[in-house]
Amino acid sequence: MKLPFAKAAGLALLMAAAHGAASAEWTRTWAIEWYEPAHYYGAETGIIDPGTDCPKGTNPEPDWIGVLKKAGYTEQEALWLRDPSHPYRVPNHGQNQMAFRGEGRANVYVHPELAADPGMQGVTGTIGEGLDLDGDKTNGFVSVDGKTTGIDNQFYRTMGCWKYFRGPPRLSYNAESRNDEMREGRWTVLIVASGEGDDPMNDDKVRVGFYDSTDKLVKDGNGDIATGYTFRIQPHARFEAILEAKTVDGVIVSTSPTKEIWLRDPSYARELQLLQAQLQLTMKDDGSLSGILAGYRPWKRLYQGMVEARGSVIEQLTWAELPGVWNALKRGADYSPDGANGEKTHISFALKIDAVRAYVMTPDASRKVSGVRSYKSEAPPMGPSLHAFFSNRFRVTDGLVPDSDGVILAGPDAPILPPTVTGAELRARLKASAKGAD
Amino acid sequence: MTKRFNRRSILRGAVAGAGVCVGVPALDAFLNGNGSAYADKAALPTRFGTYFWGLGLTDTPLGGSRWVPETVGRGYEATPELISIKHLRHKVSVFSGFRVIGDGKPNVVHWSGHAAILGGEAPARNRVMAGPSFDTAVADALGAGMRFKQVDVAASGGQSACHSTRNGATFATPETTPLELYQRLFGEGFQDPNDPNWTPDPSIVLRRSVLSGIAEQRKALISEVGRSDQLKLDQYFTSLREIEKQLEIQLQRPEPCEACEVPDAPKDLGNSVTIDVVNANSKMLAKLLAMGLACNQTRVFNFVHTPGTSITYIAGEQKTYHQITHDEPTDTTLGYQPKTSELAGLVMGAFGDFLNEMEAIQEGEGTLLDHMLVMAFSDTGYAKIHSLENIPVLFAGGAGGRHIAGQHIASKGEPITRLSLTAQQLVGVPRGEFGMGAMRTSRPVTEVMA
Amino acid sequence: MTGAPVFRSRRSWGANKVRLDMRRRLLGVLCAGLFGCASPSVETTADVGAGLASQASAGAGAGERPDAAPDASYAPYQDKTAFNAAYRRLTESQYRNVIADMFADAVQINARFEPEMREDGLQAIGNRRLSITTSGLEQYYSVARSIAEQVVTNKARDALIGCGADPEAQAAADCATAFIKGRGQQLFRRPLSAPEIEGFVAVWDKARTETGDFDTGVQHALVAMLMSPDFLFRVEAAEPDPAKPGAHRFDAYTIASRLSFVLWDGPPDAALLRAAANGELHDEEGLAAEVERMLASPKLERGVRAFFTDMMQFEAFDTLTKDSLTYPKFSQAVADSAREETLRFLVDHLVARDRDYREVFTSRDTFLNRTLAAVYDVPYASAEPWSRHTFDKDSERSGVLTQVTFLSLFSHPGSSSPTVRGVRLHDIFLCVATPDPPPDVDFSKVQALENGTVRARLIDHMSNTGCSTCHMISDPAGLALEHFDGLGQYRLLENGEVIDVSASIGGQTFSGAQGLGDYLSGHPLVPACLVRKVHAYSVGRTTATDEYALLAKQQEAFAGAGYRMKALYRTILTHPNFLTVRPPEGVPAGPGTTHADTSTRPAASGGGQ
Repeated sequence: MKLPFAKAAGLALLMAAAHGAASAEWTRTWAIEWYEPAHYYGAETGIIDPGTDCPKGTNPEPDWIGVLKKAGYTEQEALWLRDPSHPYRVPNHGQNQMAFRGEGRANVYVHPELAADPGMQGVTGTIGEGLDLDGDKTNGFVSVDGKTTGIDNQFYRTMGCWKYFRGPPRLSYNAESRNDEMREGRWTVLIVASGEGDDPMNDDKVRVGFYDSTDKLVKDGNGDIATGYTFRIQPHARFEAILEAKTVDGVIVSTSPTKEIWLRDPSYARELQLLQAQLQLTMKDDGSLSGILAGYRPWKRLYQGMVEARGSVIEQLTWAELPGVWNALKRGADYSPDGANGEKTHISFALKIDAVRAYVMTPDASRKVSGVRSYKSEAPPMGPSLHAFFSNRFRVTDGLVPDSDGVILAGPDAPILPPTVTGAELRARLKASAKGAD
Repeated sequence: MTKRFNRRSILRGAVAGAGVCVGVPALDAFLNGNGSAYADKAALPTRFGTYFWGLGLTDTPLGGSRWVPETVGRGYEATPELISIKHLRHKVSVFSGFRVIGDGKPNVVHWSGHAAILGGEAPARNRVMAGPSFDTAVADALGAGMRFKQVDVAASGGQSACHSTRNGATFATPETTPLELYQRLFGEGFQDPNDPNWTPDPSIVLRRSVLSGIAEQRKALISEVGRSDQLKLDQYFTSLREIEKQLEIQLQRPEPCEACEVPDAPKDLGNSVTIDVVNANSKMLAKLLAMGLACNQTRVFNFVHTPGTSITYIAGEQKTYHQITHDEPTDTTLGYQPKTSELAGLVMGAFGDFLNEMEAIQEGEGTLLDHMLVMAFSDTGYAKIHSLENIPVLFAGGAGGRHIAGQHIASKGEPITRLSLTAQQLVGVPRGEFGMGAMRTSRPVTEVMA
Repeated sequence: MTGAPVFRSRRSWGANKVRLDMRRRLLGVLCAGLFGCASPSVETTADVGAGLASQASAGAGAGERPDAAPDASYAPYQDKTAFNAAYRRLTESQYRNVIADMFADAVQINARFEPEMREDGLQAIGNRRLSITTSGLEQYYSVARSIAEQVVTNKARDALIGCGADPEAQAAADCATAFIKGRGQQLFRRPLSAPEIEGFVAVWDKARTETGDFDTGVQHALVAMLMSPDFLFRVEAAEPDPAKPGAHRFDAYTIASRLSFVLWDGPPDAALLRAAANGELHDEEGLAAEVERMLASPKLERGVRAFFTDMMQFEAFDTLTKDSLTYPKFSQAVADSAREETLRFLVDHLVARDRDYREVFTSRDTFLNRTLAAVYDVPYASAEPWSRHTFDKDSERSGVLTQVTFLSLFSHPGSSSPTVRGVRLHDIFLCVATPDPPPDVDFSKVQALENGTVRARLIDHMSNTGCSTCHMISDPAGLALEHFDGLGQYRLLENGEVIDVSASIGGQTFSGAQGLGDYLSGHPLVPACLVRKVHAYSVGRTTATDEYALLAKQQEAFAGAGYRMKALYRTILTHPNFLTVRPPEGVPAGPGTTHADTSTRPAASGGGQ
């Protein structure tokens, strides 16, 4: 039997080796407990206050009456459309008619290019989080500690003053909402790191894998994600990412970009494609893992996620006109992959990741994973696309929510009626109008 | 009220005692000190109701709260969003920190919260519960012989606003206007509790005769046993006799319901859902409901002030309450969402009015509120992100002396089904545990149980 | 296990019938000074084993038990023909098992039952004191009506009742009578007497006549049976023993129930009732055969679970709480899982694999689910909800004392407690009780959780208060478990200081949980205590002084059988002592007592008549 003294002496070693055999190969495993776009908040207080990032503060809420009037609605019509007692301004589905404010009353969610660009304030500060993706140290942001330059994060530059994404760590609306959803069990992302050397903290040949799991995160008695739970890898035809790296004093850094990876995305887009992906993750003494995963993401897909989450609802909640978002992303895009003919279809982006120590098992649960490899060949074929954020709750078509009969009670030619009409009458007339249009 | 011998505390002591030797005399262990409680219960029935409002109360992302009192236990302070019940705090218990544990089921926003409170488990999807809502079990226990086993009311319209279900899939249809509720309670078929032509319920006559039969038959058969066994059997037969007595009371012409006065038919307020109209509607509905309870038309109700996705709004403004909870940023100086909190306070104002209506009716030495338990709760904690943590729950009323009200019970993330279980036990539903999976519990909150 | 002797005078073990019960006197001596916290000088260095041994060798005799029935009380019963010796309220699990055996899945019971009472270490003993309060009977009434309603509205109604819903007049009466006879026998665990049948049929007839509905009649008759004391209490009936004039024995159906409630935690099945009816249970071979059959039944698991749930005081799990800041992983799911883990482990070890009871303290085998695996901080290598697991050797896990059940139940909400663990270990597994602390003890130093290790705090506490006498007994075992925190999670440090898990008991020095496990597995009191508890559980009362010799023999037999649980059941349940009637407590002495009229209780035929 070991003596306590000997044990105490070996404690540091023991803790260090807690993740696996201390042989020539090592594997460490985690589950993501929080992740969000890496957005540096430049104010010292609050959530939307002016700061070095956004000197004017967060983008203000649009004047929706004004927006509608600009699109050709009369003031009376605009007021009526915005009135909460409007029978078709459904509280959780918004006001479908809001979409029809483009040229010729086009649906601006589907055709943002047919609307005037209302403009969005971008980040004007110099400090940013992320990674230097293009190797050019002269462009991009400077890290918070001032030691790194050339950080590429155009997504932050364009979207960083938007209420949807802005806020101190873990407090932006997007981060709170989506992570709460993940932590309540909607999805799980696992991270596996393995190396071939004797010292996990300094190893030249390291691989990092991100995997899907159907085992849910578990909250502990304080509402935090509990450590030490077991998760099986769920082979997935899309959600898997493998990156080559090394460790330097416990920090895992990419050695070469991975051409393409896919992850579950903590935003309305639901899925995140990253090109030229790189990472920088720190293995902490308490067993947790924190850092950045970065790359170029397709900005149109991100925009589409907003539309599919019900355009008018998202506009209300996030205080932005979606055409403004579209134009800002388009302006900020900084990457054109092969085959895109020079079109900048992608925008530099970084995710800030916090993960807790977890046990990660092979898909059959029989043993702990050792090493990082692809499980895609074992994956069932991709099911229905995850595109529609609310597909499990209700249908969204062109950013609009049809009624229970599948009819969208709005349109370019929909009658905008005065408030003297009853709900039933309005419904009948709108339906007649919608059917006539078919 | 006389000081009662507390059987539960003795038994709890016996169970929790260090276990070397239980020093409880044999008889004490099964003495029932609650005889008076039962006599009381028979004369003045216990009523139960759920009260639901949408969108929770305001927490702040920085860790504060606009509703959770800082004081735990008795004498909690009236927080800004609970100001409307300030004068009734001694009759209301506040529960904070309880949560829904999804057990792998995702958060179905504006549904998972109350569906789990009522159904015992996080639901798989919208408008479905894992099982019957527990108010139906209460209705079965308390509602026997009543004209209505339960009455469902929704103060801001919406036929789908009701959460009461016997199969987890189809839901009761609520009365949504004062006139509807009036007609249901006092219109055609109204049974005047003071009607001179009263006849006993034949099914209760039968049940009582069966119990008498057991007593007579068995007593004749067991004439001699050891002394301690004799005492045990005596206790058993005493208990049997007590239940018979309870049935006998139901066979006697009920005491006149002195508080029962059939009100005049009300006028509807129109179907606006501005907060002032909803609250006025709610108050009228509460008044009618209180009288319906006082007139013994029902003993169980479900009252929905506003649904989870509350469509109420302040007259003249463009944004609905629901929208505001999501889009309003936290005010840096104040540390919370000011408009959201204002609306939460207005919504809770209706709950204060609701309790006032229950308190206004005198019954025996107390009020209707003293003889009922209202379990009030919402769908969410911090509404901005549809949080399933810290969902506000309040127990109002004395439950016929069984509820030790006036306390703030603070939990650290325990399953909220503990409160569902507590409520059921407080009104006498024979349920030892409630909920499934991670939400299963057999631990009621004994601090509030007499 | 080093093989060092545990007792200084081991030779006397087993021969001395009073040793087990000497503990009360011993502790009375040990702690005589404790209540004044004055003189810790009396045998402060004595460990339990040595203390017991020395007391035992000092002679026997005393050991009077206040709750043991004096033999004199038997006198008034000697000339009786028959009487009811005991009424025991059905426990919640017994009630549920009776209904489950009758109606299987057709009936769900969602009810709250009155709490049990623990006496002398077992609820099975405290149980004999319990009656039914009004609120308790209200709940039974509600459950009874619910069961009756579920039966008549079930899809399989016809099969459950025995005929269709609307039989002809004569068929209806026949069907109702058959239902009452059949279901009544299952509920009362014996055939109903003719007057009983008549009574319940009358209930059916009245309800049916008044409502015109056959099923309403069935419902009321079933409710009447479910509310009857013959169902709610286990009535233990005595009859004259034909072999010993003037003495009594349990009647055959009582024996059947005693067997089935011990082994199956439920009612006798049809075969057992048949054996009772045929007098086989009063026959040595017949009884042995039935016990053998019952030991082989899958229902044995229920009995073993019920016994250990009682012995290990698992009812405390329903009210267990932990401070979430200190033990964030604790939840109701952890509590439920932990209880299930230990029961699965014990059933597997003692029943399925029929292994040595002493290995319960050394085995590294157990069963886990995902929740528990996280508490133990091991990977959960299974896709199934539960799976077998063997802890690594350096996990320091060693049997039942190192499972989350014991470690978390017997700790404080925010810390471990060597004292509580030590006290409960002695109480549960060694049958050695510890007195409560005196009321005026200053606990502040022990409770200063932010300081050092608990060992140092306890030493401080003892030196200052003179309470060491009892702590010397309770604490060493608990200190050996200190590598497990108040939730049972492994740790090496407390407040940054290395935890010392060395212990010295009975001159034997060991270290940590595995050392303690080895020590206990070789401790004679461990199997002796189990024998005592299974015996007390089986007879439903504290062991009487005149049973000590028997107990000693049964302990020897247990050892001879390799400490197998099934063998222990066999020994205890087939011994005549299990069938011997002790008169009920508090018998009124002298004249005026009349014979119980048990004439309505049908006598079993055969068997010694």
